[in-house]
Amino acid sequence: MSDFLGTLVVLLLLITALYILVNQDWRWAIAALGLQYVWAFLLLLMAWPAELAVVKLVTGWIAASVLGLTRLNLPQQAAASGNVPSGRVFRLLAAGLVILMVLGAAPRLADWSRAFGIYQAWGGLLLLGMGLLQLALRSGFFRTALGLLTLFSGFEILYAAVEGSTLVIGLLTAVNLGIALVSAYLLTAPTLEAEE
Amino acid sequence: MSSAFLWILLPIAVGAALLLYRRKDDTPLYLALGLSFILTWIAWQFPIDVVLQLGSISVEIAPTFTFLGRNFTLAEGQRMLLTFIYFAQTLWLLGAFLTRPGQLFPGLSLIAVGLFMAALAVQPFLYAALFLAAAFLVWVPLLVPPGTQPGRGMQRGLIFILFSVPCILFTGWLLTGVEGSPGNVTLVLRAGLLMALGFGFVLALFPFHSWVPMLAQETQPYVLGFLTFFLHSVSLIFLLSFVERYVWLRDNPAVFQLLLAMGSLGVFLGGVWASQQRHLGRLMAFAGMVATGGLLQAIGLGGAAGLQTFFALWLLQAWVLWALAACLAVLYRRVPSLQLEQLGPALQRHPLLAATAVAALLALAGLPLLGPFAAHLAIWHGLGQQSVGLLMLSLLGSLGLLTGGLRLLHAWLSATPTPEPPEERLPASQRPDMANPYVWVFSLLWMVALLGYGLLPSFLAPVQRLVLMFPQLFQ
Repeated sequence: MSDFLGTLVVLLLLITALYILVNQDWRWAIAALGLQYVWAFLLLLMAWPAELAVVKLVTGWIAASVLGLTRLNLPQQAAASGNVPSGRVFRLLAAGLVILMVLGAAPRLADWSRAFGIYQAWGGLLLLGMGLLQLALRSGFFRTALGLLTLFSGFEILYAAVEGSTLVIGLLTAVNLGIALVSAYLLTAPTLEAEE
Repeated sequence: MSSAFLWILLPIAVGAALLLYRRKDDTPLYLALGLSFILTWIAWQFPIDVVLQLGSISVEIAPTFTFLGRNFTLAEGQRMLLTFIYFAQTLWLLGAFLTRPGQLFPGLSLIAVGLFMAALAVQPFLYAALFLAAAFLVWVPLLVPPGTQPGRGMQRGLIFILFSVPCILFTGWLLTGVEGSPGNVTLVLRAGLLMALGFGFVLALFPFHSWVPMLAQETQPYVLGFLTFFLHSVSLIFLLSFVERYVWLRDNPAVFQLLLAMGSLGVFLGGVWASQQRHLGRLMAFAGMVATGGLLQAIGLGGAAGLQTFFALWLLQAWVLWALAACLAVLYRRVPSLQLEQLGPALQRHPLLAATAVAALLALAGLPLLGPFAAHLAIWHGLGQQSVGLLMLSLLGSLGLLTGGLRLLHAWLSATPTPEPPEERLPASQRPDMANPYVWVFSLLWMVALLGYGLLPSFLAPVQRLVLMFPQLFQ
């Protein structure tokens, strides 16, 4: 991957992750998550063949669709209950700190182990940090799911550089789908008919 | 036929099929119980990797199953562990007749145990973290039944368990590097830190323990008890596999000291918090924290003695935690809240269950004459030889849990009796203890076994074969 393309992909990842973090509208957050998986797929291509990397892309899109469809079908009141407002400026400042940390840590990680390219290190650490921030600053199962999926995307970009086992890819795919399905269930559980 | 098919794929497939059963009767519970019992019996009786002649048919249970290029191995050395895990599963299914944890329990418990077995069988064993996370995800519909609002404990538990996956998988990669250059202190420290974080999350060790007591307030105690017992047990065996596999871990005294310190801290904090609880679910959660801390201490003692103590304690804790969760679950069905202030009449109505719960808490605290005492004594003896401070922490923790048990005893004995409805109008499952034969059998058998093992701990000697799974550590 050329320097220009690598930098562009990392920048696009940053934009989508920031958008998911600060945005209040769940529809746009889901769209950004879908796009984030495209940029993550491009970084995965640096370590894996396309036919393996595309599994991650499809998994991510399915996860985003599951979350989106679930949210769409929630009653308005229930949908609003998970949305605790907090300052966008504060979240942006916190994201700025994460970006600074990643800018410092990624080159050292790439230097320390040759397994990681610099763009993988940037992309992976950035998503890990943004996912953690999302989990720390946003409440509700919908936002938790977005945070976990972002965090796992970052982890998988890094882990792809050191592990290419089909079983692990399959299991990580199952865990990603599991996060989406479980979150969808937890979002709808209060509205389901109670068991006798 | 491979062992992985029998003890991993079959329960998962049957469990999935049982989820499709929609009638509200006990058929799935009977089927799951039957399968679990049969799998226990096969694990107990049939050697793995040996051709057996059954009349004209020869049967061999192959130890290895290959899937997507990786091996799942359950060998002869693990047969005792298989027997125990499926026996424990059989007990939890039996308890479901009393506790009624939900229609999905039989199917999901089979799937979860299948995934836990996959975690123990997969090679390289580092991938176990993914199976543990999958088992937790599978269990969510039981933790938050339809029609209920999930709370913050569920949210935190989900996050913490999933955090363990990246930590443990990266640890595995780092450890490979450490093997190549064991003198690299930075690498060793990074691997150690990630490993401690990963196991801290999955074992709910301090300071990552908070989701368990929070969840205990939100969910059915039996469902939470099943999850934490199997999750922590399999994670601890996974931890033992780590120590067994890597020479630098095994030969490093600092690793064992860290385990001892973490375990003692868990026992101390769990015990102190248990002494303050007025909610029985939270009390059970902190009792579980003390139990996990005790097991970590046993591993931290190191060598053959530590390993033997670990398995002796683990087996008896399984017995005790099962009964504690079952008692609390029956009470949970009777009263709107497990707050001690509101439990008085229910405890008066269920004296056998109340006595069993008190005995379980006292046994976990290490009271003499009760089952786990001998293992606790071995831990205290080992701790005393290494650090008096850690021994004091451990004893204070046990004292705290003892206080929690005595608080429950006080709530039971000081409750005012309330007038009872005529018994003949109630179904058997809702009758008071004294009129319920199932509760009599459960409580008596449990108590006799607990006292029996307390008085004659040598009964556990054959089970010490479990230590042979870890020959390097056993030396």
